[in-house]
Amino acid sequence: MPFDLLVSALVAGVLLGGFYAAVTVGISIAFGILDIVNIAHPAFIILGSYIAYILNAQFGIDPVIAGIIALPAFYVLGAAVYQVYYVSFEKRGKEALSGLAFFFGLLFITEVLLILQFGVDYRYVQAGYIDNNLGKFLGLSQSLPKLIAELPMRMLVPCVMSILMFGVLLIVIKRTFIGRAIMAVSQDALALQLMGADPVRIKRIAFAISIATAAMAGAFLIIIQPVEPSVGREYIGRVFAICVLGGMGSLTGTLIAAVLLGVAESLTATFYGPSWAPAVSFGLLLLTLAFRPSGIMGR
Amino acid sequence: MANSITVAGINAGYGQVHVLEDVSLTAGGGETVVLLGTNGNGKSTLMKSIMGIVQPSAGSIIAEIDGEKHNLVGMATEAIVDLGIALVPEGRRLFPRLTVEENLLLGGFRPKARAEIGNNLEFSYECFPRLAERKSQLAGSMSGGEQQMLALARALMLSPRILLIDEPSVGLAPVLVSRTIDKIKELKDRYSLTVLMAEQNFAQASRIADRGYVIVHGKIAFEGKSAHELNNNDLIRKLYMGL
Repeated sequence: MPFDLLVSALVAGVLLGGFYAAVTVGISIAFGILDIVNIAHPAFIILGSYIAYILNAQFGIDPVIAGIIALPAFYVLGAAVYQVYYVSFEKRGKEALSGLAFFFGLLFITEVLLILQFGVDYRYVQAGYIDNNLGKFLGLSQSLPKLIAELPMRMLVPCVMSILMFGVLLIVIKRTFIGRAIMAVSQDALALQLMGADPVRIKRIAFAISIATAAMAGAFLIIIQPVEPSVGREYIGRVFAICVLGGMGSLTGTLIAAVLLGVAESLTATFYGPSWAPAVSFGLLLLTLAFRPSGIMGR
Repeated sequence: MANSITVAGINAGYGQVHVLEDVSLTAGGGETVVLLGTNGNGKSTLMKSIMGIVQPSAGSIIAEIDGEKHNLVGMATEAIVDLGIALVPEGRRLFPRLTVEENLLLGGFRPKARAEIGNNLEFSYECFPRLAERKSQLAGSMSGGEQQMLALARALMLSPRILLIDEPSVGLAPVLVSRTIDKIKELKDRYSLTVLMAEQNFAQASRIADRGYVIVHGKIAFEGKSAHELNNNDLIRKLYMGL
């Protein structure tokens, strides 16, 4: 196995993993911390992609900036979805099965609405850096080491921004009162009330944050690849696999697991062919459940 | 200023099951009041009624905090906590998968407590050195005695004016019960708290009580207006000493 090929597969895997971290962090909050099985998350990500596409095509706004612009709207959307979910299911103790059906419904409705509006053609965004590599983008192709100069900006920008977003979320969760309350709410809601916090409000904020991350993840996705409304389905298995592999409720674990999966998929695609890549996530998921059910960083 | 809690004629229960019947009691002015009773007589239900976890069907619960009166009936639990009334619940109810320090910091969630969080944390560690040693350990992995200490410290992180404690002795070895009770006394003096403690361990609870009540089948069966009266009455002899 040629060494160069291995190194570039590893690097591509790490970049891919950084992106997967952004895709998964929302699930990690909703499913891992709050116990809300939001399988509609990938649909919200695709919605984020389309918003980035519209802002980019209509106004020439950079897709990453478009993602940031969409953040507040997604936060509000997340708060509203949680409120409906809470009143209709959680409050009545019916969240297990009815809640799952609710999010399945949201997934399909979002997908169908996008198809009705935009059709099934692939959409993509334009930005100066997307087709460049790092060397060309910085004008330093000669002076940087070849490996670094050839990093594709299309992957590098989402990866770096994703890790940045992760850092912000980690600080919010670990260092703020709301963040610690978010960690506590699914462990004992009554005890949290005895600390003076309203569990429903805390969950609403947490879920809103989780949906807000989809605005960014969607923008990253459409930078990496062209998007059509059903692309999100490919990510459902992957995100849940990463979430469980990382350890339920651990954001750091999610980041590690995302990079692991990215590298595993990239190596598989390089040495055995891309058609095997989807099998990797479920393979890793099965191995995790068999040998370390609590995940890498599970508490 | 006087901080007090006055329960007047409440009835409360769970659905069709009536637990408390016309219960009245009061605690205030920095005293330690104990609510004695064996299992299943309504001690926890009374604590839960005060905290708004169980809604009474009749009667009133008035809290006076810093000279201001509040009717607690119908208020949400978190709003009652926000007034400065803290409960150390039965079974401790820590956040098992958070560290000791994270548990303590959550105690400082209430806006008024946030300002004092640094002092309160320092005091918790000074008062319970064991917690300082274990601050990055998960709360669920500690022993029962350590968990009870953490539950107490976490309630104090709220900077409460009135502290309710529900059965601190449950699940603890006798030596730890006695140590916990001593700690409660020490904390109460230091913070000049008003304490209402439900307990079935009469011998231990009465050591620090200024006065108390005995609850039997959901009714106040006896009121001891002083530690002496509490210690020398027939009902307690009958219930606790089998005489």
